[in-house]
Amino acid sequence: MIIADLPRLVEALKPPIADFVRESRSRIALLINGSGQVLAQHGFTRSYEVMNVASLAAAAHASAAALAELTDASRWTHLHHAGKERQLFLAPVKTPVAELILVIIFDEETSLGIVQLYFEQLTGTIAALPEFQEALAETTEQHFERDLEAGLRNVITDEGNRA
Amino acid sequence: MTDIFTEAVERLSRVTGVRGALVVETDAGVPIIAELADGIDGDVVAALAASLFRRTNKAAQTAAFGNLRTLQLEADVGHVIVADGGDVLIVVIAEKTAQLGLVRLEAHRAAEALQ
Repeated sequence: MIIADLPRLVEALKPPIADFVRESRSRIALLINGSGQVLAQHGFTRSYEVMNVASLAAAAHASAAALAELTDASRWTHLHHAGKERQLFLAPVKTPVAELILVIIFDEETSLGIVQLYFEQLTGTIAALPEFQEALAETTEQHFERDLEAGLRNVITDEGNRA
Repeated sequence: MTDIFTEAVERLSRVTGVRGALVVETDAGVPIIAELADGIDGDVVAALAASLFRRTNKAAQTAAFGNLRTLQLEADVGHVIVADGGDVLIVVIAEKTAQLGLVRLEAHRAAEALQ
């Protein structure tokens, strides 16, 4: 699903994502939809980084879902990679109208348990947002590029200004 | 290895007044094994206890006190005791009336056995 009314969603998602990052002490947070469209982010300053991570996360999520189906695991609750210095947590966020994907990068300042704990809270908050209670307007193929660029500008400009 | 964890948790759970015992992975803050009374969320306790222990340990090291061995929290109606077992933590949830000395002793025994 490619969401057309992106600015409204971006605004609605800013507070819960900011709360999550602060409370979980994560470094980077990125919320995308299944098509890789960026809905919220924290920690990135360059748009190409956001685009790359969003594309890879959407692909990783799709691969994991396919693998789950192949192995009769139904679905994964989350994907966790522990690196030497940084760790990746990737999980689906279910809302009444769409499944989103959350990408979290964290380091020794926090732990997997804490990220999971606040992720549960974040999922509930996002699912309860009025913006996710009714079917989202979808963008057309012609407008996809334009909306993608607009979405990136929305989520990057604010972070860039704050930095 | 799982048997050692199970034994540690079962031994702690037998102490009068103990409402829950967990072996928690220190860095990840996730439970390895837990025996808990109804209404206690093991995942949440593990995540928060491990986070608290890691931060307090950092404070102890910064103050040149060395490594933290035990963390004991006192709340209105009970205690939470966290003992360092190397890569794992022993977390015990005890009622206010529990024999704390015995709880601490058993937590330390479990921690030493797992190191």
